[in-house]
Amino acid sequence: MPEGSQRLISFWVGTVLMGLAMLAPFGVNEYYQSFLLQVFLVIALAQAWNLISGMTGYVSFGHAAFFGVGAYAGALLLTWGFPWWAAIFHGAGIAALLAVPLGFLTLRLRGPYFAIAMLGLNEVGRIVATLWVDVTKGGTGLTLSPTLLPSLDMKYFTMLGLALGATLLVAWVHRNRFGLELRAIREDEEAAEMVGVNTTRNKVTAFVLSALIPGAVGAVYAMYTSYINPSSAFDHARNIEMIVVVLFGGSGTVWGPIIGAATVMVLRELLWAQFPAAHLAALGVLLLIVVLYLPGGLVSIVRERQQNRPDARPGESP
Amino acid sequence: MELLEADILLQLLVGGLLAGALYALLACGLNLIFGVMRVINLAHAELMLVGAFGAYVLFNIFGLHPLLSLFIIVPAIFVVGYYFQRVLIERVVERPMLTSLLATYAVSIILINIGLLIFSADFKSVPVLQGSFLVGDLVVSKPRFTAGLISLALTVAVYQFLERTRLGKAVRAVSEHAQVAQICGIDVRKIRMLTFGMAAAMAGAAGVMLSIIYSFWPGSGIDFIQKCFAIIIIGGMGNFVGAFYGGLLLGVVEAFVGGFFSTQWAEAVAYLLLVTVLLIRPTGLKGVARA
Repeated sequence: MPEGSQRLISFWVGTVLMGLAMLAPFGVNEYYQSFLLQVFLVIALAQAWNLISGMTGYVSFGHAAFFGVGAYAGALLLTWGFPWWAAIFHGAGIAALLAVPLGFLTLRLRGPYFAIAMLGLNEVGRIVATLWVDVTKGGTGLTLSPTLLPSLDMKYFTMLGLALGATLLVAWVHRNRFGLELRAIREDEEAAEMVGVNTTRNKVTAFVLSALIPGAVGAVYAMYTSYINPSSAFDHARNIEMIVVVLFGGSGTVWGPIIGAATVMVLRELLWAQFPAAHLAALGVLLLIVVLYLPGGLVSIVRERQQNRPDARPGESP
Repeated sequence: MELLEADILLQLLVGGLLAGALYALLACGLNLIFGVMRVINLAHAELMLVGAFGAYVLFNIFGLHPLLSLFIIVPAIFVVGYYFQRVLIERVVERPMLTSLLATYAVSIILINIGLLIFSADFKSVPVLQGSFLVGDLVVSKPRFTAGLISLALTVAVYQFLERTRLGKAVRAVSEHAQVAQICGIDVRKIRMLTFGMAAAMAGAAGVMLSIIYSFWPGSGIDFIQKCFAIIIIGGMGNFVGAFYGGLLLGVVEAFVGGFFSTQWAEAVAYLLLVTVLLIRPTGLKGVARA
């Protein structure tokens, strides 16, 4: 299939899905609306992870920390009298600000060292949230008064907007020079450096952008559940979810995280919603299968089929 | 200052060394795997917890003392590790390091959550060997003393195996250069299986030791793997002896931070050490490979 018509298909499928998502609150009950909101949450987080880890190959095992920071920042600002939208905005900003020094510190390190340094980040976040009692109320957590919170519809559309924004960001990065440079880093960092790619600046930029999104999502999440504590905000399960969803769908692609998120969330809802441990164990098995047998994720199955067509050009990606 | 009295310092030092011996046992295994096959085993702490829960089950069902169950658990986990290497890790050894990171991460997720399904999220412990004894003015807790000493003995035993035996020499040869070792007639695959089995057994033994000194739950691994990373980066990735001293060092530093500040901050020491070392030398203090 020529590249142009593939883009067209992508565009129309995206538009139709978006239209359905916009209309959904008028057609389904609150339970399903809540479920969709969680799907958008996972999509947004997955795209954020995709931006750094899918594009550059630097696997972040600690991205949930930015979500936690955003959740706390959003919840605190809301209780201090900021309007909800400003709280979300600042949640994103604070997470991104935190990512700047962190990115400069950790991204000088090559892949495995970065992964090791990130693995503990979420845990550190949880410890800080637990110990900094004056601000975070420690293990008691923060309860948000319902009068401060936007309506479910508002939260739904905000989360949808974040998922869309994150996806468009990835799609945009995918097309421009910045994305090309990120992928060059993934393929061979030394070679990329040699041909003049400023690897550190690129990696840090991708990292900061990828922290911005979880920050905002975390703030909306705090409003959605109206209660957060250190273990719900800095939940290691969220790291696992991000990683599995992206790799399962297809890492480094635009549609992969969406397909991955939808599949994983529907499976969870249908099969093991009541058993969080079983859900995570199943995600672990899924991750293992993908890593061993399907490194390109679900998207690669479709792509291979297209590339086997006579009119396909080799190596092109949708 | 009263706190700076010599016997308190000695007390902290001994406590730290005993705790550090356990870290060393765990981290040396992790480093052995990294040295031989350039795989960072993210499931290492979960292998340790398999040992800890094994000791818990054997104690509660058969009333077996953990020091005796060591003789069952260590060989059992060796066999598991040996075949685990063959079935899973062997497939990712030659692939980029991120593949093996993700594969072992998946294994750790699976083990943690199977643990949660079986044992729930409650803390467990094996209450044997309680109390302490006095050496002069020094108070030594019996379980910590036992665990520290056995961990030390096991680490030294593995080190002697690596240094003194032909098989150990083969392991070191593969660690130095797998292809050349292969040409010299060493069955590299077998050596990798042996290495993983041995490292898993070391982790299992560390788990049994853990069970008599701490309470644990299926999610306890993250703290330990974090500490192990700090240790192997301080001691040099792939460097067995480095990991040993790194383990002791971390134990002592934690003990002092815990003694002078608070135990909660002691938990963060490993992470701070890790980040600091990576900042000063992005490949670790004595890294074998620029990955």
